[in-house]
Amino acid sequence: MTRTTRTATLSIALTGALLLTACGGGGGFEEDSGSTAPASASGPVDLKMLIASSGDAETNAVKAAADAWAKESGNTVTVTVASDMNQQLAQGFASGSPADVFYMDAGRFADYAKNGSLFAYADQLKDNNDFYESLRQAFTYEGKQYCAPKDFSTLALQINTDAWSKAGLTDADIPTTWDDLASVAKKLTTAKQAGLGLGLGIDRVGAFVVQNGGWWLNEDGTKATAATPEVEEALKYVQDNVKAGTFKFANQLDSGWGGEAFGTQKAAMTIEGNWIKGAVKNDYPKLKYTTVELPEGPKGKGTLQFTQCWGVASDSKAQAQAIDLVEALTSVEQQMAFADAFGVMPSRQSAADQYKAKFPEDAPFIAGGDYGHGPVNAPGMEQVVGDLNSKLEGFGNANLPQVLEGFDTNAGAVLTQ
Amino acid sequence: MSTTDTAEAPGTSRAPRRRRGGKGSGQRQSVAGWLFVTPVLVVLGLFLVIPIFMALWVSFTNWNGRGSPFSSQVNLVGAQNYTALLTQEGLSRQDFMISLRNTFYYVIGVVPLQTILAISLAVIVNQKFLKGRSFFRTSFYFPSVVSSVAISLVFLYLFTGTGAVNQFLGIFGIDGPTWFSDPRGLIHMIGGGIGLWSTDAPPDFLANTQIMNLSLWEWLSGPSVAMSAIMLQVIWTTAGTFMLMFIAALQDLPTEVEEAATVDGANAWQRFRNVTVPHLRPTILLVITLGVIGTWQVFDQMYVMTQGGPAKTTLTPAYLSYTAAFRQQQWGQGAAMAFLLFILIFVLTSFQRFVLRDKDDAKQKKAERKQRRAAKKKVTA
Amino acid sequence: MSSSVGTNVSEEGRARGAQAQLKVSTSSDDGNLIGRSGRGRKIAVYVALVAFALVYIYPFIVQLSTSFKTDGDAVNNPLALIPNPITTEAFQRIAQTDFPLWFTNSVVVTLLVTAGRVFFNSLAGYALARLKFVGRDALFTAILAVLAVPGIVLLIPKFLVLNYLGIYNTYPALFVPLLVDAAGVFIMKQFFESISPSMEEAARLDGAGTFRTFWSVILPMARPALITLTILSFQGSWNELAHFIIAANDPKLYTLTRGVASLTSGGLGSGSQFPITMAAALLMTIPTALVFIAFQRYFTQGANAGADKG
Repeated sequence: MTRTTRTATLSIALTGALLLTACGGGGGFEEDSGSTAPASASGPVDLKMLIASSGDAETNAVKAAADAWAKESGNTVTVTVASDMNQQLAQGFASGSPADVFYMDAGRFADYAKNGSLFAYADQLKDNNDFYESLRQAFTYEGKQYCAPKDFSTLALQINTDAWSKAGLTDADIPTTWDDLASVAKKLTTAKQAGLGLGLGIDRVGAFVVQNGGWWLNEDGTKATAATPEVEEALKYVQDNVKAGTFKFANQLDSGWGGEAFGTQKAAMTIEGNWIKGAVKNDYPKLKYTTVELPEGPKGKGTLQFTQCWGVASDSKAQAQAIDLVEALTSVEQQMAFADAFGVMPSRQSAADQYKAKFPEDAPFIAGGDYGHGPVNAPGMEQVVGDLNSKLEGFGNANLPQVLEGFDTNAGAVLTQ
Repeated sequence: MSTTDTAEAPGTSRAPRRRRGGKGSGQRQSVAGWLFVTPVLVVLGLFLVIPIFMALWVSFTNWNGRGSPFSSQVNLVGAQNYTALLTQEGLSRQDFMISLRNTFYYVIGVVPLQTILAISLAVIVNQKFLKGRSFFRTSFYFPSVVSSVAISLVFLYLFTGTGAVNQFLGIFGIDGPTWFSDPRGLIHMIGGGIGLWSTDAPPDFLANTQIMNLSLWEWLSGPSVAMSAIMLQVIWTTAGTFMLMFIAALQDLPTEVEEAATVDGANAWQRFRNVTVPHLRPTILLVITLGVIGTWQVFDQMYVMTQGGPAKTTLTPAYLSYTAAFRQQQWGQGAAMAFLLFILIFVLTSFQRFVLRDKDDAKQKKAERKQRRAAKKKVTA
Repeated sequence: MSSSVGTNVSEEGRARGAQAQLKVSTSSDDGNLIGRSGRGRKIAVYVALVAFALVYIYPFIVQLSTSFKTDGDAVNNPLALIPNPITTEAFQRIAQTDFPLWFTNSVVVTLLVTAGRVFFNSLAGYALARLKFVGRDALFTAILAVLAVPGIVLLIPKFLVLNYLGIYNTYPALFVPLLVDAAGVFIMKQFFESISPSMEEAARLDGAGTFRTFWSVILPMARPALITLTILSFQGSWNELAHFIIAANDPKLYTLTRGVASLTSGGLGSGSQFPITMAAALLMTIPTALVFIAFQRYFTQGANAGADKG
């Protein structure tokens, strides 16, 4: 560089540095308030809501509910459907202007609670104890419950009734143990159809792990327990069936998820949650199927529970109004309306009887509420779980002990922070 | 004022600039000059230069995404983000190494193939007797002009398990894979195919030696089937741009040289190898440099098509940096990855230019520089 | 970072490619590799040509025909080029999404960015080429250095700066950072250096000021380079994706690339609906094709030889 060039670049760099320090706290970033009383904006408020929708049915139902509250309270609510929920949430928090109310998944909740993005309002709800205990636990971090669970779903076994009868099976053959399931899947497997189609990831095979009495972490989420016989046996059971060709994963069936494999009849059975009702009704209306509880494992019944809560942002300027909206959205009537629209189960215990009466075919799902296990929700685990899921993608050939040990090591590094 | 060493601009005219007479318009020119460049200065400075420094700062902190990164609550953690990616045994390093491995295979696959395809297309299109040249040239160039999003969507459709490509392969009796869901590495598959090893039970030596969090077996995987589909797409798309550069260079080749070679008895292939290719050398170098720079930054396709899957085989440093920051809120690590990528690209292109340089030309340049320095010394003495 | 990173060609690459294209069409003859071409050679070349052309055109035909197919037809008969039955379902469904909004946003942003770049880049390029001022060479070196920074490295930092300035998630965030690009300045500077200074001297003798000289005398002569710049800017903004991802979160600010990309990742609910994605891709590509065809015709009419200096 010539001398003039060097001095010029130096002066540019210096000016740059000066500019940065001069504009102290830049306009876009908000400082953390940390107060416990909800912020309340005066006058009519426009609340921003961010949801991740399973389809038009859910979007319309949520919008209708929000509009109803808006009309009654004199505010407005703008509902936005996220195409990439995680990224849009993260970007919203980073920029200091997140949505006021949003879906918060139990599996990601701990990270946001830990970094202070969420406002803990559960203690201000009128009837917090009406929510199922296990659901409230899923949204508790360091002893404080942050938000109200909005609904929950569990996994159950869906069976294609046409394929079932074509294989010569009857009601008496409905599987209640692992061996039953394996033999039924074998009978249902044909050249064009796999016996059981599974979605990828621990959010499906985890059910088998629970049925064998194991789990990825210990009870208080301080230690990783994946490399234990309970977990390994459960996964080995699935792997043996995959190798035999009777269980197949969605990526082997050219499908995005278990429901798609099931709906396009590439699999005769699948393990999915409540959401499959809406998907089948919309995309595969001609499909005839039934739902039964998952078979028992060696250590008893087990399934996975999925739940989301209504998160309220700490950075929101209208928290009081947001909490009011959440109260309206979690009333028994509203939860039953959502159940009607897109097949989720109410998170309030007082709504359980109503639900069972109205949707008797969902009995297997609701039964899962008693023995279901929530997702992994320790902070910082997302990358570790993601890594485990990616290593399990080639399930048939995976070296299970090695993969599980790797999980334990990675999780250990994260959990001690 | 001397011309600065513009190493990045081989095409800059080296004609000495004429000195403008002062005449009082000198000051006006000066003011005008600065006024004219101010918009460029402001925008580039604000959105290119300052961001770099800001990211450098963030890469040395553990900012988690809330509040200002310059606030007092943000901790300076020194080189921790960098060590987590390079030296510390852990998930971050594993993912970073996986992304480097994937992109490495991607680069050595795409750059040579797209260069060769570009030259071939250029030679074919440039044939003197060709009718409808403009139509063909346009159709080869058109994909580069179209948005990568649109092209990604089309290729997603073409490469599904029962899609057009597999049906086409089916005509020849080949059972195509479920392209974008298939994480098997090409080298693994080829080796398994010729009996070198078994993909189900890899040789112990390879499977158990760990370098930087990945076993040798994993390092040797080659691009996955999914990655190969993306590579095919990218080669198809960008060959057109480089084809144009080659056509321009080919048209610079004087016919007399060609004819002289023909008279000397050289056949077409010899002519191509000994006359055309050396003439194209600077263009080939340029195309390879641009190719390397471009391929290391691949992002759009991963974002639209695969999100790093299947089994992390299409993970690239650019995409990983994005997800680390925007999804997992590890902004420090994301920024650190971006800088490592920058350094990597810079080192690679410098190295490649050095290796492929024209040695005679370099010697001449060195002699010229020496002369200039001697002349300057004389003047200032 | 204003070029479509996804096509793996940096800004510099695009610049050179466009310059090469200008050059190609201005040269009248080629004269390579033949002389005495036998018929065998001719046939071989034509066969190769047609084969490649098929490979290059087929995906666009698929795009066209699939957008008129039903979901089932698209999945079951991917190779069939004629839809059976022909339906406009996909387009109707697209009209129900925010597609018109995305289209409008893209058009506005592209117009602003193209106009901005043509104007500011030529201003700066002229100053760097023709005007004497202190620090000119240093500035040019700095601009070249910026060219060397890989665009992807700037994703996170640009978000931080946009946030810091308070314009994140607003309309200006979409286009202000793209108003200028280093490659464009480079092209214009190179072009202006090739123009004979006699024109300016004449203008100066007539008493015209610097800006006047630039605007009325030099700029009209720069048409080919300006066309190049216009095309590059159009491509750089219409096809840009990564910048729009980080610049805004609000779905009302989605441009075409961002919106259409969201169709594959959950915006449509479950299931991959190919006719819809193909229709979206088709609608995205048509403006590009139109601009491309329009300027292609301009090129074949013969452009100023000044472009040859590329």
